[in-house]
Amino acid sequence: MLKSTAHWVRPCTRVYLLMMGLTLVTFLFGILGARGLGISLLVLAFALFKGHLVGDYFMGLRGVRGPWRWVILLWLLIPGSLISTAFYLSGS
Amino acid sequence: MELHSAARRYPPGDLAIWIFILAELGVFAVFFTVYAFTRMQHVELFNTYQQTLDQRAALINTLALITSSYFVVRAVAAIRENDRRSCVGWLSAALGMGGLFLVVKFLEYAHHFAAGVQLSTNAFYTFYFSLTFFHFMHVVLGMAILAAVALKAHRGGYSAAEYTGIETGASYWHMVDLVWLILFPLVYVMR
Repeated sequence: MLKSTAHWVRPCTRVYLLMMGLTLVTFLFGILGARGLGISLLVLAFALFKGHLVGDYFMGLRGVRGPWRWVILLWLLIPGSLISTAFYLSGS
Repeated sequence: MELHSAARRYPPGDLAIWIFILAELGVFAVFFTVYAFTRMQHVELFNTYQQTLDQRAALINTLALITSSYFVVRAVAAIRENDRRSCVGWLSAALGMGGLFLVVKFLEYAHHFAAGVQLSTNAFYTFYFSLTFFHFMHVVLGMAILAAVALKAHRGGYSAAEYTGIETGASYWHMVDLVWLILFPLVYVMR
């Protein structure tokens, strides 16, 4: 019996579409003038998540074991935490 | 690069490019952090002048870079299947998206310069021009690398058995995309 592949979508394509969607949401926050600490941290979280997807699925780190598996995630978390701290301290 | 089923010890491509990528990411991390802490001392100034930036241009550029990164992933997948023609096609499309990014960014700069805005106008613009131009130069370098890889692929220099060069160029290009993914919300949206 032949298996249908009509609905099969590459994982990288799903990741790509998800990143495009998150980017559009980020843009909407910006264009609608949404501001404040909560919005800033949410938008930053979207960006960090997209960066994680790039590292895992586009750069291929998902298939790597050992310390190299985590370098991009670590890079995202360090400046991400510092940026969050700065925005928190400034109140937005 | 998603097709590897068995775990490997090192990331795809030449290890040297990864050392270079980490060094570049380190510089951008410092840049982002300094931006955020400088903004902390000039919140109103940063929020005011951030609104003079063209968010639509930034959106187009973000979508262009994500799309080009996706095209590069497809190029790597194609060469793994020994489909050299598709590989060159995907790389060329990625270069096209990179070109779109450069054109949009150039127009954005032209608009600001025409309005009399310079690097020294205020602290916000100092960061805006420095950060985005530093990234702009990385896009130019990334496109040069992709073009060299595409040319070699076109000449039959890569196959399903040997495609390290494509993975190396792809890794650098994804880094360029990765940096912009943080830069876009930080400089254009968060306030």
